[in-house]
This record gives sequence, C-alpha cells and structure tokens, in this order.
Amino acid sequence: MKSIIDFFSSVKLAIFLIIILTLASIVGTLIPQMRGAEEYAARYGQLSELLIRLEFTELYHSWWFIAFLFLFALNILICTLTRLSPKLRRTFNPNLEFKTETLLASKIQERFEKSRTLPESETELKKTLRSLHFQVKEHRKAGEIHLLARKKILGIFGSDIVHLGLLVILIGGIISGFGGFRTNINISEGETVPILDADFKLKLDKFETEYHPNGSVKDWISTLTIIEGESPRLTKTIEVNHPLSYKGHVFYQSSYGWDWQNPLLEIWAIETSDPSSSKKTYLRLGEKENWEEENLEFTAVRFIPDFIIDGNQPRTRSLNPNNPAVFIEVFRGGERISSGWIFSKFPDFSQMHSGEESNFKFELKDIQAAQYSGIQMSRDPGVNFIWLGCAFMMLGLFMAFYWPPRDIRFILAETEEGKTEIVSAGRSIKSKLTLESEFNRVMTSLRSSK
Amino acid sequence: MTESTLFLITFILYIAAALFYLGYLFTKKEGAAKTGLSIALIGFIIHTLALVWRTIESGHAPFTNMYESLSFLAWSGVLAYIIIEYKYKIRKAGPYLMLIVIGIMALASSPLMPKEASPLVPALQSYWLWLHVSVTLLGEAFFAVAFVTSIMYLVADSREKKGISKQGAISSEKLDSISYRCVAVGFPLFTLGGLVFGMVWAYKAWGSYWSWDPKEVWSLITWFVFALYLHTRIVMGWKGRRSAIIAILGFLAALFTYFGVNYLLAGLHSYA
Repeated sequence: MKSIIDFFSSVKLAIFLIIILTLASIVGTLIPQMRGAEEYAARYGQLSELLIRLEFTELYHSWWFIAFLFLFALNILICTLTRLSPKLRRTFNPNLEFKTETLLASKIQERFEKSRTLPESETELKKTLRSLHFQVKEHRKAGEIHLLARKKILGIFGSDIVHLGLLVILIGGIISGFGGFRTNINISEGETVPILDADFKLKLDKFETEYHPNGSVKDWISTLTIIEGESPRLTKTIEVNHPLSYKGHVFYQSSYGWDWQNPLLEIWAIETSDPSSSKKTYLRLGEKENWEEENLEFTAVRFIPDFIIDGNQPRTRSLNPNNPAVFIEVFRGGERISSGWIFSKFPDFSQMHSGEESNFKFELKDIQAAQYSGIQMSRDPGVNFIWLGCAFMMLGLFMAFYWPPRDIRFILAETEEGKTEIVSAGRSIKSKLTLESEFNRVMTSLRSSK
Repeated sequence: MTESTLFLITFILYIAAALFYLGYLFTKKEGAAKTGLSIALIGFIIHTLALVWRTIESGHAPFTNMYESLSFLAWSGVLAYIIIEYKYKIRKAGPYLMLIVIGIMALASSPLMPKEASPLVPALQSYWLWLHVSVTLLGEAFFAVAFVTSIMYLVADSREKKGISKQGAISSEKLDSISYRCVAVGFPLFTLGGLVFGMVWAYKAWGSYWSWDPKEVWSLITWFVFALYLHTRIVMGWKGRRSAIIAILGFLAALFTYFGVNYLLAGLHSYA
C-alpha cells in the first residue's frame, strides 16, 4: 500500500503523465478524428487498421487516453493529499523551536548585537514587524524569545486549490461524458416537437434571419415556447450566443435551412413567338397546371436547390439555394411531349427535350420554401462542476502567484547585561526580492536604534 | 487620417525604436536605449489609438480576423515589454522583443491578410469575444517576453561558462528569474482567458464547453508545457538551461495554437 502511495505521490509521475498527455494530444490533432474507415484507409493505407484498433482515430475518447487521465487525476489527488498535512501543520501549528545554526545557514540571514534589554528589543521588533503587516507568533524560554513573523501565509495553499479545481473539472468531465447528451432538432415555424427524456415539448413560434447590409448573415433568431402538458410555460427568443435553458435542457441556435421537400415554385410558361401571352403559375411538386391557350398540361416533378451533375446524375451540392432547378414535364392529350430541367439562375440555359419543335418555354422565377431553425439541444449535468473547478483553479493560481508567503524567523537572546543578540533568517520561495527588501527594512530599523 | 495610417505610423515608430535599441546594443550608449523606449512608448500610444479607432469604425472588438488579432498581439507584446522593462530594467531584451513585434506587424500588414473590417458572423457577436481574446493574447505576450529572455539566458549562460561574457551584460541568473516572472504573469492570464473564458464562451455559443477541437487541444498543450515548467521548477528545483528550454517550447506551442492550427489543422475555430 505504502509503495503504491509513494508511486502516486511522486512529482516525477506527474511530469511523465503531463508529457504523455501532451504527446498524445498532439498526435490527436495530426490524425483527423472520428472519420469513416474508408477515409483512414485512403489516407494511411495498411496502417489504418492498426490506428483504428488502437483508437488513435478517436483518441480523446479512447480507453488508454482516459486511463492516462484517470492516472493523472489519481496522481494529482495523492500528491496534493500527501503534501497537505505537513503544510497544514506548518501553517497553523508551526515549530517555533529554532536553532541558531539553522538560521545562520540560510541565504538571507543576519546576526548582530543590540544594546537594549531583551524586552525592549522585543517590543521594538514587534512594532516594526506589525508596521510591515507581518503576523507574529512567539515562543518564550529562559533568556530567549523565538519569533516567527509571517505574511500571506495562505499562499502556500494556492497549488492545492489549483489541484482541487482540476479534480473538480475532471469529475465534471466524467459526469458530462456519461450523463450528458446532445442532439440536433430541425423545427419549422409553427411546429411542435417532443423532447427526448423530458416531460415537455418545444414549439417554434417564429424564425427569422437578420442580414448585414452587405448581405452576410447577422443573426438567426428563433422564438421558442416550452409547452408542458397542454399549457405554454415559457416563451423566449434565442439567437446565436443566447440559448434558452429549461429544466437542465439548453437549446442553442445552431443552424438553419430550408424544407426542400415541398417548395412553392413560381413558374412562367412563355409562348416564344408572343412573350406577352404567358402564363404565371405557382406550383408545388406533383401538381398539374393547365395551359388552355396551348392545349397543354405541365407539372413540376423534381426540385434540386443546388444543382450539379455528378456522374451523369443530377444531385444537389448543398442544402442552400445556390442553383435551384426544377424538372418539368409537359403533356398534350395525356401524352408526354417534352421534359427537362429549368434553372432559375440561368433562364436561357434551360433545355427541354421534346419530340417535336416547340413554341413554348418555361422559366423558374422564384422558389419559396419554409425555413426551419436548427436547434441544438444539450443536457450536461457536469457543467456546473466545470465552472466550480474553474473558479477554484483561478483562485488557486492567484494565490500561488500573487499571494507569495514569506517569513522571517528571529532568535532574541539576552547576552550580557542590557544587551540582546538577534539572529534572524528570511525565507520565501516565490518572492525572494520582496522578502529581501522587507528583511533589510526590519534590520535597518533595528540597527538604527542600536 | 484613418486606422491604416495610424497603423503605418505605429509600424514606423516601432522600427525606429528597434533601430535605436540596436544602436544601443552596439554602442552601449544608455541614451540610445532611452530614446528607443520613448519612441516605443509613443508608438504604443498611437497603436492604442489605432485599435480604438478600428473598434469604433467596425463596431466590434479589434481582433476578429488575422490582421486585427496580429495587430492586437503586437500591441500586447509591447505592453508586456513596457511593464517588464519598468519593473526589471532589462534594456537588452528591448531590441529582440521589438524585432518580434516588428515581425508580427509586418505579417499583419502583408497583403495576405485581408484588412477590411467585415461584419461579424453570428457566433462572434458576444462580449466573450473581448474577454476571451484579449486576456489570452495578453497572456501570450508575456510568454513571448519569457521566450526572449529564455533565449537570452541560453546565450548568456554559455558565454558565462566559457568566461567570455561582456561587461555590463545582464547576468544569466537575472534572466532566468525574469523568465519565471513572465511565466508567473502569463500563466494565470492564459488559463483565465484561453481556457476558462474559452470554455464559458464555447458553452454559450456551441452548447459544449469542450469539443477537442484542434485549437482547444493546442491551448491545452500550451498549458501543459507551462505547467511542466512550473512543476519542474518549483517542486524539482530545475532552473536555468532546462527551464529556459521548456519556456521556449511553451511559447512555440502558443504560437502554433495561434497560427499553425488555423492554417494546418481544420476545426471549429475558423475565425482567427
């Protein structure tokens, strides 16, 4: 048991683990994470199987990375605990039995004789120390007084509080990992969707996109209502950076898009010899429109928002309406006489394949589709631990760097009649310069009244 | 007068400051270093005006693209240097630091960096942009000073060992201690701005405080390297050479977090 504790309390282990975690993290940024097996095969060839088996492809969630993190946490915990009790003793119950030789062996030390009695010297010294905001502890014995003057004592716990914060953050991470989940909800205006694992539903009242003057997106704004049972509980407008939080579920504005399943298409049927006699219609997919003047019927069969030909097949490149196209079929007397794609951005490019010479053409003038709002829902029970841990960590860092503890030890001893020998030594790990100047001020003040 | 004019004037002043500093290195005339510092100070004030101007003109924080954040990094570097110079009087670090600042300014003004202030994408419209970026870059500026003093340490140390250190040179011991001081300022700032504020903002904007995005991982790596610096130094008593090397690696990691990730690795953090 003791050897296990010794192992985990060593700083060398901490340094080894930090190096391992650093190297692993670097590797994780060099190998793309969480991709498909084919991509790895294309990228790494034969090596890909090994990488996948060793979970280098989802490194930060791999059993071995988590095992190292766990060891790291254990290391931090045991390191901190084993160092804590001597620190507590030194702080609250310090040893006041100083030895002259020890003090004189310090780097910052002095020994001199003052022509004052012991009580006089003590009073004077204490006064000086108090004016410099030192806290003084004392220990008296025959003919000798030991004083321990300290400042910013709690600073020595800075690192422990940082470590505590790190542990709380790691615990929060574990809770998030096991207890949290995230999912995307695409929801159209007016739609109500049930929320998984919750006793309420979410309704999108309104969705708007705001634009900058140059046309780029400024913000997406969704007005959401939480419905519990049948009654609305809460309505809030969310936008990017301003989520809605309800009963541990948080709803974020994350994306937007159009519902291309059922767009409303504005199609103009134009007589080429006489453009003034054209027919302007609004069509949905599958609806047939009669064009009496020409004795025709036409219908929109398929819609593609961002048309591209890929291996002879039309498909959409994205879900944005970058190159909207609709496939039109034209009938006369129940027989299909013409069909083809028409493009809203390229009206002249439209190519209709027909059996006979035609005197009409079609143009896709406008497309209207319901916009949906992409809402990311997350439930993360670990997040409060993270903030608590961060607060500890920052407090600890502040204490460790800006609350540097220091002390000066004194042995005052009555030598001969009316004379006092003062031996003093200063100690500080993190603010030697400040301590030195304080030490010198104390000594100068003591000497000036020699 | 526009922001770009102010930027140009700043750039020229920094170059002038560096020249005076270099003159000081060669002639050892205190006056040259003092003039250099004064010019750098004037440059810093004009730089501040340029940043304020940019903020008013664009209506958002002056670090939303590479040009802006480079300019802000240079500003933070000069600020960190002025603070360290004021506290520790390390004139000799001045020329090297000004050279780094000039390098950053040159990069910012290169034609590769788009300069126009474009409207912010929705995710960046948050006051966390101010908190996250400014505190992080300020922390990194102190790492930059530690980087310079650590390199100076390595040079001074090898000279002292060979017994060829010049008179009036800063002792390697002092350089070592200044490096530590800079890390001691930079580390809490970087932790607060880069990691803590970063996590809070990520949680508000993306719904997850940590996504193992390459930029997040690289700031964690930077943090690990400086944690290593502190532990080896404070607990194991490492000093001097080994400490200096770790501080240099730490700044390089910070630099990679800042530049490398954007250009070499893809991720969520695709702004600057």
